Parts: sequence; C-alpha cells; structure tokens
Amino acid sequence: MSESVRMVVVLTVIAMVSAGILSQVYSVTSGIIEENAARELESSVFEVLPGISKVEIIKASPQDRLVEDDPKEMREEEQRITLIYQGLDDSGKAVGYAFVGEANGYGGAVRVLVGVGEETNKIVGLKILSHAETPGLGSRIEEETFRSQFIGKSVQDPIALGKDIDSISGATVSSRAVSEAVRRGFDEATAAYKGGN
Amino acid sequence: MNLLVILLSAILVNNFVLVRFLGICPFMGVSKQVETALGMGLATTFVMVVASAATWLIQWFILEPFGLPFLQNVAFILVIASMVQLVEMFLHKTSPSLYRSMGIFLPLITTNCAILGLAIMAVQGGYTFIESVVFGLGGGLGFTLALVLLAGIREELRFSDVPKPLQGAGIAFIVAGLLSLAFSGFAGLV
Amino acid sequence: MKGILNDLRRGLWSENPTFRIMIGLCPTLAVTTSAINGMSMGLATTFVLVCSSALISLLKNLIPDKVRIPSFIIIIATFVTIVDLFMNALLPDLHRVLGLFIPLIVVNCIVLGRAEAYASKMPVINSIFDGLGMGLGFTWALTLLGSIREILGAGSIFGKQLLPEGTPTLGIMGLPPGAFITLGILMALMNMIAARQNKVS
Repeated sequence: MSESVRMVVVLTVIAMVSAGILSQVYSVTSGIIEENAARELESSVFEVLPGISKVEIIKASPQDRLVEDDPKEMREEEQRITLIYQGLDDSGKAVGYAFVGEANGYGGAVRVLVGVGEETNKIVGLKILSHAETPGLGSRIEEETFRSQFIGKSVQDPIALGKDIDSISGATVSSRAVSEAVRRGFDEATAAYKGGN
Repeated sequence: MNLLVILLSAILVNNFVLVRFLGICPFMGVSKQVETALGMGLATTFVMVVASAATWLIQWFILEPFGLPFLQNVAFILVIASMVQLVEMFLHKTSPSLYRSMGIFLPLITTNCAILGLAIMAVQGGYTFIESVVFGLGGGLGFTLALVLLAGIREELRFSDVPKPLQGAGIAFIVAGLLSLAFSGFAGLV
Repeated sequence: MKGILNDLRRGLWSENPTFRIMIGLCPTLAVTTSAINGMSMGLATTFVLVCSSALISLLKNLIPDKVRIPSFIIIIATFVTIVDLFMNALLPDLHRVLGLFIPLIVVNCIVLGRAEAYASKMPVINSIFDGLGMGLGFTWALTLLGSIREILGAGSIFGKQLLPEGTPTLGIMGLPPGAFITLGILMALMNMIAARQNKVS
C-alpha cells in the first residue's frame, strides 16, 4: 500500500469511527437533553403563573389550527408552531397561559417566558430564560425593577421601549431585546391561543 | 445598523480577548513587540473572516439539513485547520513578503480558541451569513486591538523596575486586567 | 513503576500546564468564577486528556506521520463532543455555566500538546499517567483560582458561605479584570515558590 493511500485510508477510518461513536452517543443523550429542557421550561411556567398546580402544553400553529395529530403536516409546520403552556388550578380550570418569546440582544438571543392571566389577558409574570448580555449591565434585565414594568400590560398596549417601558440606563440594546421578545411572542401567542381554543 | 452593532460589540464591548477570554494563549505569547503583535493580529483576523464564512456554510448547508449537529466540533476544527493550511499555501504562492511576515504565526492560529469560539458563537447567535462574516471581522479586529495595546505597554515595561517574581507573565496578566477594566467602560456603548 | 510516578508528578508541579508552561489559559480565566466551576472544567479536561492520550498512544504506529495532526484533532474532538453531550444530558446546570468552553477543550493546547509531545512517542501506560498528571495539575490550578475569586467576590467557597453575612465583597473578582489580576498575582507567587525551591536544592 503506497504512502498516500495509507494516509487517506487511516484518516477516513478514524473519521468514520468518530462519526459512528458520536451518532450513538447523540442518540442516547439527545432525548435526555430535550427532556431536561422541557422539564425546566415547565417548572418556569409555575413561576410566571402564580397559583397554578398543573401545566398543559398546547401546540398551535399561527393559522388557528392544531396540527399535532398529523405528523406530515407537523413537519411542514414545525418552524411556525407556537408552543403555549396552559396553567390549570387544582380544579382543572385554566388560570392563564405562558409563552416563550425571543429577540436578539447584545451578546446573542434573549429568551423570555411570559405568563398571561386567563380572564384579564394581562401579563402576570415575566422570567428571563436565557441571555448572554454583559454581566452587571445588560444582565440587569433580570432584575425585578425592570421586569415588573411588564406586569399588567395587555396585548393592546404598545410594550415598546421609550413608550411604556423604560430602558435600563446603559443597556438599551438588552432592554429593547426583552420588550421585543415580549411583544413578538405576545402577538403570536394570543392569536394562536385564542384561535386554537 | 444591526451590522454596526455586531461589529462594535465584537471589537469593544465584548472584546474577544479582554471580556470573553478567547485567544489568551497568543495574547500572552506574541505580545512582546508591537510589530509582531500587529502581524499576528492581522493574520488571525484574516483567518477569522474566512473561517466564519466557511463554518457558516458547513453548519447551515451540511450539518443542519442532514441532522448532524453532534459533528459540529469535529467538522469546525477540521475546517479551520484546513483553512489555515490553505491561507498559508495561498500566501506562500502569491505574496512572499506577506508570507514572510505572517507565515510564522499561521500554524499557531489553528489552536487559537478565538476562532473555533467565534464559529460556535455565530451559530448559537443564529447569525445570517453576512452577520457571521461581520462578527468574524469584529472579533479579529478586537483581538488585534487588544494584542497591540498589550504589546505597546509591554515594550514600555522593559524599562521599568518590575519586582522579580512578577516579571514576564505576572505583570502581563495584571496589565491585561487593567486593560480589561478599561474596556468595561465600553459597556453600554451602543 | 518509578517512571509512572514521575509521569504523574510532572504535570502537578514541575511542568504544571497553568503556572509553569502557561498553556490552556482561556478556560483558566473564563470559567473560574467559582471553585466548583473551575474544578468541573479541570475534570472534564482531564477526562479528555487521559482518553485521547491513551488512544493516540495505542494508535501511534498505525497513523502515518503526515496525517498525524488531523488524526489527533479528530480523536480529541470526538472525546470532547462525548463530554459535551453527556454533561448536557446529566448536569445541565453546569453545562450552561461552562457553556462555550466545553467545546473549546478541542483547542486547549494542553491536550494537543501532550498528544504531540508525549503520547505519540511513549507507551500507553506512561501516556495515561502523563495525561492524568497534566489534567490534575490543570484541575488544581483552576480550583485554586476559582476558590480565591469566589471567596473575594462572593464570600463563599464551593457555594458555602465562608465570610459572615454582610461582609463587603469585591464584585470585580467575578468579572474579567478580576480573573486577569488574580492569575497575575498567583503566577508571581508560584515563581517565588519555585525560586526558593531552586535555591534550597
């Protein structure tokens, strides 16, 4: 076997073995990873919707259709599905719903979870799920004083920086990311939730 | 506007070296002279721009469509290593003078974690192709800026009376800390 | 037997990757905001280091010299991805804190450096102990740095409150400048200790 053939063979074999092992490890772990993320999100729903005892997940497309029963359609619609977390109290009555909103901030995506009251249709809780903003500055979007501004807003309110939301001084981009994430998610979720029901 | 934010953010506010701690090894290793620091910085910037374009294409045209996200690490580092090799061969053929000034740094760039870090962050941030390339440019320029600043200070330090145990790496880290403190003033710039 | 112990000891002090050779500095600075983070990063790196050193040493005669580096890189990247995926599945909180720096173990110069300088030339057993020594040397350095930053920055160690409640702390220790300055001072201390050792011997 000539030198160059041997080089190609060895590299190919190593790469193939590596890909094989990794795909095995991935198939074992990916399920657990997704489960963890789903469980964590569900427990966050309890934080933004006070007084609930159970969470139900509703998959709704923006076109007012529930698509979870049709796998083929689900695949096509996958990108456009809005996940809505409905919070139920002890008697099984809906207390409100929560949705995830996302917008780009300074260091990457800012993800928020927003809880909305069933009857009032106003925001009752807001949690920052993840962000990569500057510590000590953009990261202040996590503080209560900033987050509490969103409480009580309904979908008709502007929810925009400079209108009814005050920016954190020195962290305009991060603040705007939060209000945009709430705004965008709120519109989608209201359409899907009210339509889906 | 958005592109400008990405660029400024990568150069100043989230400077790759001083705030994100990427590329510390070359930052400490080749910051004794301004001239070599500049050469290293520009060579790295060049590779970063090329690599951010290449890894973006790999991610969104190969790894995602075929459901192979777990091969990201392996694929990216191989692409970066081959990019460095290609850049080296290209420079060698086309511009011998540039090759002489940059050439010695090129092999070192593969293991500069700023480049792999940049590629992974661009994917995580969901950047578009143009945004990724601008992010790469900003990251590279930020790296160059930090490197040249530290080199400038270290050149002056040769004439000052530094306590013996602090000489070399010790004082360089403390200077880098002060630079990092200064850069935190850029927070909230945009 | 003595050789193996030497392999182990080298990484711990005389050729300590952090303080003496000064490689693998990015994670050293970035994840040492607390003692537990530093230690976890060190142990993850140790795992990759031991596994890749062992495998590379086993395969050293099969891999042609010219494709040595790409082969090493694939092997290392594979182990790193395994750590990345398992940590994400089993320790999601830790995975979030260490974040980007887990995949970046691939380009940690310690791993490739030991593969190239040691594992590709030495027997398997020696390579394993060399990897273990280097990994643990890296781990104690990161744990020390993390502990100092956590005590000064948050008044706690390994998450347990150490200083009395209400003691003023230095918030800057948790931020990037604190990382650079602490490491600089630690380097100077290690230099002093090494200089004293040399004088004695």
